[in-house]
Amino acid sequence: MKRINYLYTLILKCNTLRNVTSKNVMIDASRIITEAVVQSGADVFIGYPITPSNLFYSYSKERFPEFLAGPDEISVLQWMCGYSAAGKIPVTATAFPGLALMTETLNMAYMMELPMVIIITQRLGPSTGSATTGAQGDLKFIDGIISGGFPLPIFSPSNFSDAWTLSNEAVKTAVKFRTPVIILTSKELVMTQKSFDINSLEPIEKVDTTPKAFEPPYQPYKAGKDMVPTFYPLGNNEYQVRFNSSTHDNEGLIRKGTPESLANTWRLREKLEKRVDEYTFYEIDAEEGAANLIVTWGVTADASRDAVNSIRSKGKKVSLLIVKTLLPISQKIYDIIDSYDTVTFAEENMTGLYKEMIFGKRKNPKVKTATKFASMLTPSEIEEIVN
Amino acid sequence: METAEKILTNAKMPFCPGCGHGVCVRSVSKSLELLGFGPKDVALVSDIGCSGLVDPLFATHTIHGLHGRAPALGVGVALGLDNPNKKVVVIQGDGGATIGLQHILEAARRNIDMTLVVINNLLYGMTGGQMSGLSTNEFKAYKHSDDDAEPYDVVNLAHQSGAAFSVRVNDISNFTNVLKEAISTPGFSLVELSSLCTSHGMKKISEMEDFIVAEETFKNKRPVGVSLKRDTSSLLETIKVLETQFVSTVKDSVGIVIAGSAGGGIQSAATMLAQAGMLSGLHATMKGEYPITVGTGFSVAEVILSKKPINFTGLEKPNVVIAVTDDGWNKVKNRISENSKVYVDSKINTDNLFETKEFLKVGGKKGAILCAIAHWIKASEVFPLEALLKVVEDSKYATALQNAIKSADEL
Repeated sequence: MKRINYLYTLILKCNTLRNVTSKNVMIDASRIITEAVVQSGADVFIGYPITPSNLFYSYSKERFPEFLAGPDEISVLQWMCGYSAAGKIPVTATAFPGLALMTETLNMAYMMELPMVIIITQRLGPSTGSATTGAQGDLKFIDGIISGGFPLPIFSPSNFSDAWTLSNEAVKTAVKFRTPVIILTSKELVMTQKSFDINSLEPIEKVDTTPKAFEPPYQPYKAGKDMVPTFYPLGNNEYQVRFNSSTHDNEGLIRKGTPESLANTWRLREKLEKRVDEYTFYEIDAEEGAANLIVTWGVTADASRDAVNSIRSKGKKVSLLIVKTLLPISQKIYDIIDSYDTVTFAEENMTGLYKEMIFGKRKNPKVKTATKFASMLTPSEIEEIVN
Repeated sequence: METAEKILTNAKMPFCPGCGHGVCVRSVSKSLELLGFGPKDVALVSDIGCSGLVDPLFATHTIHGLHGRAPALGVGVALGLDNPNKKVVVIQGDGGATIGLQHILEAARRNIDMTLVVINNLLYGMTGGQMSGLSTNEFKAYKHSDDDAEPYDVVNLAHQSGAAFSVRVNDISNFTNVLKEAISTPGFSLVELSSLCTSHGMKKISEMEDFIVAEETFKNKRPVGVSLKRDTSSLLETIKVLETQFVSTVKDSVGIVIAGSAGGGIQSAATMLAQAGMLSGLHATMKGEYPITVGTGFSVAEVILSKKPINFTGLEKPNVVIAVTDDGWNKVKNRISENSKVYVDSKINTDNLFETKEFLKVGGKKGAILCAIAHWIKASEVFPLEALLKVVEDSKYATALQNAIKSADEL
């Protein structure tokens, strides 16, 4: 054994001389996401501790240029709104119970058009459920979280590479569209450690927050063709700025039922739905001639990848769609799903919540669900349903 | 700082005839102008209710939020601006102060540089004149309310929480002067102003006297609360790099379940095992499982070591099960299959189904799990024990950890 090790060490030294550039570490996605949002330009983390988002809290305390411990989740999101209105990019991380408390303020941030990123680590519910058990059970709650059925961008990383790139996209989308953005994760995705080459991560560019050009006079909610008003912060010396949580006109003043104020509210939906392809991310591993498609997201993606490899190793054809922008749903996603005879949704919840986003609750002969409650769905369980 | 521009717009006051809110608004604007603030020097934060109708009246920056949350929003604005030349003024009513009392106490506790004006008309005006947490018992009796709980003294509560300046003013002629003092006080100031609701309360200010709380003034000498900014370094730079130094005999993959009790170092030992695997050229995962309790109950970790990159981090059929306490054993014993190698401490009752070793006796309570892991590494020759010793060498507990690993020789 010692002799083999000696020879191996020699080979390794030669490899080093040949400029081996990997940098392998044991790492978790909480660390990667935290680093990514900071490098993307996030200014402040405001948090309230909750399992299983605790690693985000501790990493953020170490890494963010500014860190604040809020006394409760309502305060956390209110403070974030204040920071955002002052021109900063705030981030928090929570789980369902915290998100439930944040809901009214999330609606306020949405109405005020304040950029921010909220990381949700899903755990087993309902209610306080099992704080240390992962799940994918919050999707439908989040789908309806903005009163009136307005869309909110939801990004769902499926592995470490996604954790890096999607976190950057989350900050970019928040700023570009003046909106809160949710990064939807799960306990095992952000707490399980895995060997990983961090040199495989591409450099991240800081998001540009310079106010874009506008047609004078400046009004805080007057939007051009891109449907997103130019952002100036509270306290700036150039233009008076008004933010408003109630139905408001272009100036930012409460107006009940005027064409301008209703158009302003309607625009909140249009800016995100009409431009959804600008922030739609997915991974399609399409096998030629496959009639079956596995659709999955988040923590179940890795089990699905293994299931696909196993199915193919037995000579059967199958394709895999990993959805990374869960909401709003781009036509591209529907088109991919529609091009297969049979679709299996793999999710760690009771009934297939993403499946229900696409097909509803009604039974459909084309649709199967591989679901698991209270533990991770395994590759063999997915394979069994697909077959 | 600007001085010439007016703080108020020309918009018409939106309040009911005779309402006291107009006086409060004019007093706020007058005090700001007297102190030399221009409109763009001020961020006005408004709440919900009659006091939340003020935005169009102010030519300043404005932000109109949720019921009771304006003081919390103001904290975010003040810390986010972080500019002593800009003033954050928050206006809310007694209803907002009731539902959002925690936000007031928090702003006071932190002594955030902002002024909160609580316009107290003793009731919820916009929803029909219901009683608030600041409604006095005299007023509640007048309104035939059965509720006789004492009202919050929000001025004193703010003081007790650490506000730099908190005051109740009932005399309209003093509003501007007191507001001037509050606004120019560094830190958190709260000014409760008495107001009149002519729709649901009194018709004349002179009728208010029997129903309001006496004036009071408090001060705390404290530093202004700030949010510290700091330079930090990348989280990817502070993590241990694990380049291959040893060779492994693992041909495909091996899944190990490690079980013990909270406080027994199970999670960190599992991480060390995974790291040793990486030092031996393997891919690795480490997944923890534990109840919500911190210092009691089971602690289980799953480690996968593999020649190929690992996707799914779950462990369907463990190849190896290591348990050092009953807590851990009871959690994992059902996962053992006929192909599992099992390593159990001799204090655990396995009904003589498995051979046991004295991991606890030789490794100690904290070192038992590393002792057991080291024993498995030696027995299986998955990689040299030096890999595990290498992982712990730069730990601040290096000696204890190394001793625990080496104690496996005594088994």
